[in-house]
Amino acid sequence: MLVSYNWLKDFLNLSEDPKDLGEKITRTGVEIASVVHPAEGLKKLVVGHVIECEDIEGTHLHKCQVDVGEDEPIQIVCGAPNVAAGEDVIVALHGARIAGNEKIKRGKIRGIKSNGMICGLQEIGFADKVVPPKYADGIFVFPKDSDVKPGEDVYEALGMNDYILDFDITPNRADTLSMEGAAYEVGAIVDEKTKVEPVVLKADGPDWTDELDVKVDEKLAPKFYLRKVSNVKIGESPLWMQRRLWNAGIRPINNVVDVTNYVMLLTGQPLHAYDARTFKDGKLEVRKANKGEKLTLLNDKEVELDPNDIIITDGEKPVMMAGVMGGKNSEVEDSTTDVILESAIFDGTSVRQSALRHANRTEASSRFEKGVNWDNTQKALDMAALLLRNDAAATVNEGEIKATDVQRNPSVVKTTVSYINKVLGTELTRVEMKKIFDRLGFTAGGSEDELIVTVPNRRWDISIPADLVEEVGRIYGYDNLKSTQPLLAETHGGYSEKETAMRRIKDIVQGQGLMEAISYSLTSPEKAISFTKDPKSVVEVQWPLNSSRSTMRENLITGLVDAASYNMARKQKELALFEQGRVYDHENNSFNEHEHLAALYSGHTLSANWQHLDQKIDFYFVKGQLTNLFRALGIKDADVEYRAEVIGGMHPTRTAGIYIKDQYVGLIGMLAHTVTTLDKALRGSEIYVYEIDLDLITSMLDKGMKAKAAPKFPAIERDLSLLVPNAITNAKIEAQIKLNGGKYLHDIRVIDVYSGSQIESGHKSISYSLTFLNEKDTLTDEVVAKAMEKVEAALKESLKIKVR
Amino acid sequence: MDLFDRINKLKEEGLDQIKQAENQKMLDKIRVELMGRKGELTEILHSMKDIAPENRPKVGQEVNQVRDILQKQLDEAKDHFLQAVIAKKLEEEKIDVTLPGREGHLGSKHPINIILDDLESYFIGMGYEVVQGPEIETDHYCFEMMNLPKDHPARDMQATFYIDEEDLLRTQTSGDQARVLEKHDFSKGPLKMVGPGKVYRRDDDDATHSHQFQQMEGLVVDKNVTMSDLKGTLEMIAKHVFGQDRKTRLRPSYFPFTEPSVEMDVSCFNCNGKGCPICKYTGWIEVLGAGMVHPNVLENAGVDSTVYGGFAFGLGLDRFAILKYGISDIRDFYTNDVRFLEQFRKEEN
Repeated sequence: MLVSYNWLKDFLNLSEDPKDLGEKITRTGVEIASVVHPAEGLKKLVVGHVIECEDIEGTHLHKCQVDVGEDEPIQIVCGAPNVAAGEDVIVALHGARIAGNEKIKRGKIRGIKSNGMICGLQEIGFADKVVPPKYADGIFVFPKDSDVKPGEDVYEALGMNDYILDFDITPNRADTLSMEGAAYEVGAIVDEKTKVEPVVLKADGPDWTDELDVKVDEKLAPKFYLRKVSNVKIGESPLWMQRRLWNAGIRPINNVVDVTNYVMLLTGQPLHAYDARTFKDGKLEVRKANKGEKLTLLNDKEVELDPNDIIITDGEKPVMMAGVMGGKNSEVEDSTTDVILESAIFDGTSVRQSALRHANRTEASSRFEKGVNWDNTQKALDMAALLLRNDAAATVNEGEIKATDVQRNPSVVKTTVSYINKVLGTELTRVEMKKIFDRLGFTAGGSEDELIVTVPNRRWDISIPADLVEEVGRIYGYDNLKSTQPLLAETHGGYSEKETAMRRIKDIVQGQGLMEAISYSLTSPEKAISFTKDPKSVVEVQWPLNSSRSTMRENLITGLVDAASYNMARKQKELALFEQGRVYDHENNSFNEHEHLAALYSGHTLSANWQHLDQKIDFYFVKGQLTNLFRALGIKDADVEYRAEVIGGMHPTRTAGIYIKDQYVGLIGMLAHTVTTLDKALRGSEIYVYEIDLDLITSMLDKGMKAKAAPKFPAIERDLSLLVPNAITNAKIEAQIKLNGGKYLHDIRVIDVYSGSQIESGHKSISYSLTFLNEKDTLTDEVVAKAMEKVEAALKESLKIKVR
Repeated sequence: MDLFDRINKLKEEGLDQIKQAENQKMLDKIRVELMGRKGELTEILHSMKDIAPENRPKVGQEVNQVRDILQKQLDEAKDHFLQAVIAKKLEEEKIDVTLPGREGHLGSKHPINIILDDLESYFIGMGYEVVQGPEIETDHYCFEMMNLPKDHPARDMQATFYIDEEDLLRTQTSGDQARVLEKHDFSKGPLKMVGPGKVYRRDDDDATHSHQFQQMEGLVVDKNVTMSDLKGTLEMIAKHVFGQDRKTRLRPSYFPFTEPSVEMDVSCFNCNGKGCPICKYTGWIEVLGAGMVHPNVLENAGVDSTVYGGFAFGLGLDRFAILKYGISDIRDFYTNDVRFLEQFRKEEN
């Protein structure tokens, strides 16, 4: 709501600087987003009277002699189509500044002297949307009644010597969506009595109430008042009204439309004006629309009405979408003589839904949905009729039709002085609180601690004690509240066990050199289930923004692959990224969220260097990082197993499922060529990833630990070189060694793998280093030799492996 | 020749030989000749029996003195040769320390999580529990329990991704409040919690909007929690994050789940309150929303609002990061450009 400071002065004695007032309102009531002075930055703009205006042959230009209050008229060349002799216009003199800080100088146009410029409203800073249609493509012409004199500044006449306060209204403070409401609020803030004038209307035309049979459902429109004015002369509104409208961001159209808008601005009550010819059958009905009914709105939009839309009909067809916008078929036109004025309260929820359903929110609908003052229905109706008599020479017909007239009683809220003080942390007295309610226009009764507060209908946001706490708090001033800390019994803050474990995991991988990424949870249906061993039923949103953000991810890798693509397209090919976040599925009739961790590597293990010691990232580098992570978490190597597996999106022969104690916890491997070749940025890159389920892993971790002394006895190492058929995996060999190595076998390490020309074909050579350790005694060579013999025998026997 | 002259001569000759030795090998030979078992000095000691008994101590003393002197010279010479060898070896081992090292991967924390971790540890220090709630939330917890019944106009403030009639992607972390309030046993003490997490709004992504972002919810409920406590708590947070010299202001606002509701602004850190494009010439920057928990929210969760009350606040972690680090495009958080992310290594906490 744009509130004119000058207009506010109709209601209040204001002495504050407008900007200071804005700050005060912001801190006490409604946020003032800006305070704008429309004349700011403008210079030497005066009223000019066009004395002569002749066409310049062969051009669209006119040579004008303009009286600007000097001894002699000045000559100005003007290209506007609507410039004519006899008009009062806006003249930018030599040396003037117009909108955009543009400077106007005298000069020659087509060789003809021009000593300034005749301006349109846009040229002096008006927004396109407030310029009256008549002047949209030309210069502005002051209406005849304007009382302007050549040579005087235009700012006053155009309402630019004003300050416009932008009330950024929250949904509960729709009471300030009117000048009266804003004035009450400002009055309470600056502690000034707000003067709101009543309307006294005397009809001067014949009674009309027999002309129309009106049927209204009370649930749809609890209040529905009509009046008629006759013999209207459609024309331009007086300048004072136009400037109030455009300063409020509303475009002046004609005297009838302008009156309805003006009264809405003043009272907050939306009005509608129908051409009386609409109801020539003598019927008007307010009802819900029938399926299939259509209505062309004033903005030329044809809508198919919904059975939940409230409409006004002429007894047959719709002529208005109630509370939203009128129909083209009932519009006030230049030929209109008689006008039916409607002032009503419509069901806010229905209005809101209609406006949303048809994507047609208006000033009126936004007021109905947030609520309007039930006490202003009559005043708005009478005010409009009165103004039409003044501005459009209308006759006001005797009588009004009140088809429905439900009354709303002011709300009475009971609370106590001590409750308000307790919530605020203040020590205000009853007298101080009463004074605050006074300023707000509330009446406070009761005695001692008790407060019985009666709230006028114009503040329909107040119904419970907490609302009164807010009123007292804000008017007392939040700046005046003390700043304290809660004095409460001791509480133990901290993270849950799972959260603590996850934080540790993030620290470890970050220490391993991974950069943390955060991706979008919503992705495409395909990506949502890629890189996932057993995809579950997905979670999809109903109205996605686009198809690439429609489905909740079931894996984190997909986000990291998107990040890799983004980076590689920007020549960043050395990547080590991780993300810790949730994945989502819809399984067993419930929505499930699981915490996961994923990492992505591409490029080299070390940055390229002059020593040529750089090594490309491969499966085993990434696996080593993961092994270290598991070790750091206290997961035993022996409990972790990698099984070659085929998983969507992953390289079919370079991917493993990760199992801890036989439970699937995630995957590791290279991205499939099918994935990398499809994306130009990724093409040709070897990208390795892993993803693990932290819900599972954190639940497997041992809690706490007991320290053990370092071994006191030396370990013995033995190497074992084997010639192995290619099909036999390291895992199988290690399992045999473990099985037969005896109780002192402490560790097995692969120290070499070779396959090539030196070796029997179909075979590979693998060398292991076995560590034996007795923690309680010195190991003898014989014990170790015996263990090694047993291991070698078993390998030969069960796996047909040759020991070299 | 007098025995003493002989000893003296041996000393002079010995010192001379040592001086002329050219390498360790020659030095070893000289040592054997002078000090060895067959050396003359040893011989003199061995032939002590031929010396008059009264002279023996003096001779012995003299010989040992000479041996000490020669030994010292030998050691010095040896050390000299050793030093030369070491120096040569070190010269051969010399490297150019100005050449670059081999750089491994260097990790970093996401800026939003830097802010989050900092806030969490701050609140934990003040006794707050960190609580996590579901991102796929029900209309019931996200809205109805938070005093936002269906068709409440304020629902329009938040465009929601619905999954079906009842389930949705949460638009705010406030649902965590309802869940915690339902569970909390007030007989065991006050409730103090923060709930961080991802939230979703049906907004097209642009420089200032993101369909996904992160919030942190805070809630303190007990018998005597006041709005002054809220003010004090919010001021501490704002100063902790944005600097002790920031000014703050509370202004009335509206949230369905709090009454009274306020928003907090801090004085613009760019212009210090004078007005600039960052603060849209107001001198203030909005940082969070808060208020006293609405009685309906307490009652909906089964908490007696005539006995218990408290405050709640909600802040945007993306917004905090944007303000603190001067980030101009919220999408930078989610494209994960490593050139953007790597600069936050220095901000580790």
